[in-house]
Order: sequence, then structure tokens, then C-alpha cells
Amino acid sequence: MLVWTKPGKAIVWLAFAVVFGLLVVAPFVVVIAAAFAGSWNGVLPSDPTADHLRQALSGDELASLSVSLQTAFLGGLLAVVFGSWGALSAADTRFKRLADAMHHLPIAVPSVVVGLGLLVAFSRQPLLLNGTKWIVVIAHLVLMVAFSYGTVSAALERIDPSYAEVAASLGASPARVLWRVRLPMLLPAIASAAGLSVALSMGEVGATIMVYPASWRTLPVSIFALTDRGQAFVAAAEAVVLLATTVVLVLILDRLRGRAAER
Amino acid sequence: MTVQLQDVTVHFGRTCALEGLDLSVAAGETVALLGPSGSGKSTALKAVAGFVRPSRGRVRLAGNDVTDLPPAKRGIGVVVQQYALFPHLRVADNVAFGLKAARKPRAEVAERVGEMLEMVGMTAYARRFPRELSGGQQQRVAIARALAIRPPVLLLDEPLAALDAQLRADMLGELQKLRREVPDIAIVYVTHDQSEALALADRIAVMRDARLVDVAPAAELYAAPPSAFTASFLGGANLLPVEPVEGGVKVAGHVVPGLQAAPGESLLCIRPHAIRLEADAVPGGGGAAGRAGVGGEVLGVQWRGAFNQVTCSVDGLAGVTVRVDVPADRRVPEVGADVSLVLPVEACSLVLADGC
Repeated sequence: MLVWTKPGKAIVWLAFAVVFGLLVVAPFVVVIAAAFAGSWNGVLPSDPTADHLRQALSGDELASLSVSLQTAFLGGLLAVVFGSWGALSAADTRFKRLADAMHHLPIAVPSVVVGLGLLVAFSRQPLLLNGTKWIVVIAHLVLMVAFSYGTVSAALERIDPSYAEVAASLGASPARVLWRVRLPMLLPAIASAAGLSVALSMGEVGATIMVYPASWRTLPVSIFALTDRGQAFVAAAEAVVLLATTVVLVLILDRLRGRAAER
Repeated sequence: MTVQLQDVTVHFGRTCALEGLDLSVAAGETVALLGPSGSGKSTALKAVAGFVRPSRGRVRLAGNDVTDLPPAKRGIGVVVQQYALFPHLRVADNVAFGLKAARKPRAEVAERVGEMLEMVGMTAYARRFPRELSGGQQQRVAIARALAIRPPVLLLDEPLAALDAQLRADMLGELQKLRREVPDIAIVYVTHDQSEALALADRIAVMRDARLVDVAPAAELYAAPPSAFTASFLGGANLLPVEPVEGGVKVAGHVVPGLQAAPGESLLCIRPHAIRLEADAVPGGGGAAGRAGVGGEVLGVQWRGAFNQVTCSVDGLAGVTVRVDVPADRRVPEVGADVSLVLPVEACSLVLADGC
């Protein structure tokens, strides 16, 4: 700590609490409060009700949650596969920097641009994916690959190359070195990448909104549409559902990661 | 010859990590590659293992050229500095790794693993994970893993560097014992620690700046170092400039009789324990003639337990300090005292000045 006096410390903590409270806590509180509000005309919400939540968990809206989960798992897990593959291939080669740049390109440009690009690219035969769920999955895959690649790449750099060398000296083929030594040692990083990808995918909206077909509407898109139509309370209820689902998912994936790290 | 390096040169980008190394190691022989960091000793080891590809030269194992073979096809046992035990595998599975890679029958793997763990005294730890072992135990497992594939050659890269001093001494003893258990294996031992090299090696190859400086049986290198670098790196010899004179050489005005300087040999090499310190009969110096040795002044004394390490300046040789090990039972001169440094001729040798 740079500040030693008691009043000094108190001021620093107070300033932190105000900024953190306004920027991080307040929006969550408001969303949660709105989800359970029958109306909100004064300073505080009134007529508490669970109707919005019930609505958010029924019919089309529940379908949205299911779509989001499927997209996150499919896109996120594919992103982990491709990201890990890319990181392993690029490690220790001359192309490392180029590979870094290529993998990070999709998150360097606005996600709307990624969505537009996919829309243009996949709207014609023979690669007609527009109007199917696959274009949404691909959009998520493209965006999440950067994070997977980055996580696995960083872990690879921390692993001493002598593990692979010793394994090879013991007679292991490159494939055996990969499956029996490198991948098991990367497992915690790969699990981390999976958690991150799934969590980010659950909240992705920029690219999704450009490409989604009516049959494959993710929860964030639903929230956006509801808000657009002025149904802020139902949107808030859906946001609560999204928040809760993501938190549970991340906790589960973190458990798995912890188990992988223990081994 | 089990291992033969011929003109092996390794470049990393533009830096030359190893330059024209010629070296062979016979079956049953231990050769230490000794040198400071950056001397190319680890690179030489990597070239034998196949972890780096030489830009020039050939590597042969039992007469076969393996220069272009990947490490997996060489069948060499390697123990690296941090041991690189696979953290996700138990001790027994680490030792079994090479045998499973060779697709040996399960019964044979189990038997060989048991044998190896017994040899290194780790049978009780077979079900442990590497992180549950101490540094010394990890090293034993690493050795067992390397020897499980019955390699004709065992490469040890600074195997004791990661251990603390007491454990290092114990493990040195274990390595000597291990040597006796595998009498037919050629061992290449990379180290920067001269005491490890002296204790374990039949021959020592001294390396410096990516090149081999000297290679000879350990006792020979120690007794009569061919170069100034070897003299100082192996055993920390004192090096004093000399001039040839009739019937001997002259060191700082004092004649050591009976030494013949060959052309170019301009440094006298003497071990710290071989110099005898005598208090000056005439305080303040009575001139070179009155002394039994070279005149000097005590600059410092460090007690090392079994001996005192005394540093002295030498009269007439500015910038030269001499280290003298005085046994603890001998009287130690005070700091600042004038002394004579007696250089027994049988402990002196002459070496080329090679720029160190």
C-alpha cells in the first residue's frame, strides 16, 4: 500500500467503493430489481412479481436459452479445438508472430464486421449457410478462437521444452509425445480456454445479430429484441436467466479445470 | 567407440553455440563436459541426444551415423537438469514411458520398472506423483526412467545443479554407485562444477566459448593442465607470469629452479594448497635474495573449516593475487603481514598464456 494513514486508507477505499458500485454493482442490481418489478415509476420498483421470470422461462424465450447453450458449447468447444491446434502448430516456429496476429484478427475488428463478413461469404452456393444455425456457430467459433489460442499459447510458453525432448529420447513418436505428454500437460489451460469461450459465447451479440436466422435466436439477441420493443422487464428477467446460467456454467467448468490442474 | 562426435558445429541463428567438437566416449567410460555457462557443453549433449541438429559434422553411435535421426530413433537415455518428470504420470508410469513407447509386453514392462525402481531405491514410491517427491528422489526417478530402455549411452545434463549442497554431496555418492551398477554404459556428464567432474569422470573435456579446450584423463588434467584456462577452471590454480632464465624461470624476481619453459609458455601454474606461506624473517622485506620464495602481503583470510583461504598480493606483480589454502592446524598470518610464498618446484607447471 502506498497510503499508510488511516484516514488516507479510508478515502481510497471509499473512492474505490463508489466507482465499483456505480459501474459494476449498480447495473446488476437494477437488472435484478427490474426482473422482479411489476412497475417502476418512482425511485424504487414496485409491485414485486415473478411473472417476468416465468415468461422468460417459457416458450420462445426458453428456446432462446437452449439455443444459446447449444451455440456456446458447439462454438466454444470447436474454438478450443481449433485454438489449441493453432497454438500447438505455431509454437516454436518462425510463423508464431504471424499466427498470433491471424488468430487475434477477429477480435481486433468489431464483431459486427465479422458477422457481416460471414453473411457475405456464406450466402451463396456452394457454401450456403445463411439461414441455418451453422452460420451462428461459425461466428462464435471465429470470435472465440482468439481467446482459446491465446490461453493455450501462453501455457505452452510456460512448459519447459525438455518434457517433449525427454519423451522423444525415450522412443516416443511425435504423435505419442503430443497425446501422452503435451496435451495432458496442457489440460488445465485447455479447460480454462473452454470456460472462457463458453462464457463469452453466452454473451455474444454483435456478430450474432448480423447472422442469426429466425429459427436460431440466442438469448442475448432475444434480450436485445425485447428491449427494442419496450419490454424492459421481461428483458431484465431474461438477463437474470442468462446471468445465472453463465455463472453456473463457469463454476462447473472451473471445477473441471481445477481437477485437471490437480492431476 | 560408443559415442563419436566429429567436427560437430551447432548454430542458433547467427550465434555459434558449438564449434567443431571432436570427442569420443567408449563403452563403460564416463566423460565430463566441464565449462562455464555458454561454453557449449549442453549444446554438445543436445547434439548427441538429437535435440539440436548440427549445421556441420557427424554424430555416430556405435559406429552408425545418427546425425539425421530424430531422438526417438537413437535409443539414448537422457536426464535433464530439472528432470522433466511427466507431472501427470505416477512414478511407475514415468519409468514405464519408454518401454510402453516401444510397445513391450505388459509383463515385461512391469518387471523392468520394478527392477529400475529397486536399483535407485524408489520402489516404495512407485504410486506417487512427481510433485510428491523431493529433488533427490525426482532425480533418481529420472535416472531410472532413462535407464529403463537399456540405452548404450546415458546423458546427464547438470543433474545435481537443482539440489542444495548437502543433497548434492549425497547424490554424487549415489551417482558413483550407479556407475558401478551399469558398467557397460557410456556416460556423458555435463557440469559446470569441477568437483563433480573430478569425482565422476574418467576423462574431462574442458569447454569454453563453444569450443573444446582440453580433453584428458581427469588426474592428468589436474596434475598438468595443458592450458591456463583449464588450470584455473579445474581446481582454481594460481597463474603467475614468468620469464625464462638460465636453469629455471623467474617469478617476480624469484628464481624457481628446474623448470624449463617451452616456447610460448609464460605462466606458472600452482594449486592453492601447494603454496607454503612463511612469515618474513626481515619485516618490510629484506630483498629477493633473503627469501625462501616470492614476496607478498596478506590481503585477506577466509576460514573455510578444514583450511583457511589466504589471498596475497605479489611484490612486483601489480594486479595479481594469489590464493593459498593453509590447513586449519597451521598458523595463519595476519592481514597486512609480509610473507614469503614458497613455490615447491614439484607442484609447479608451466602453461601457455591463452588469454585468461
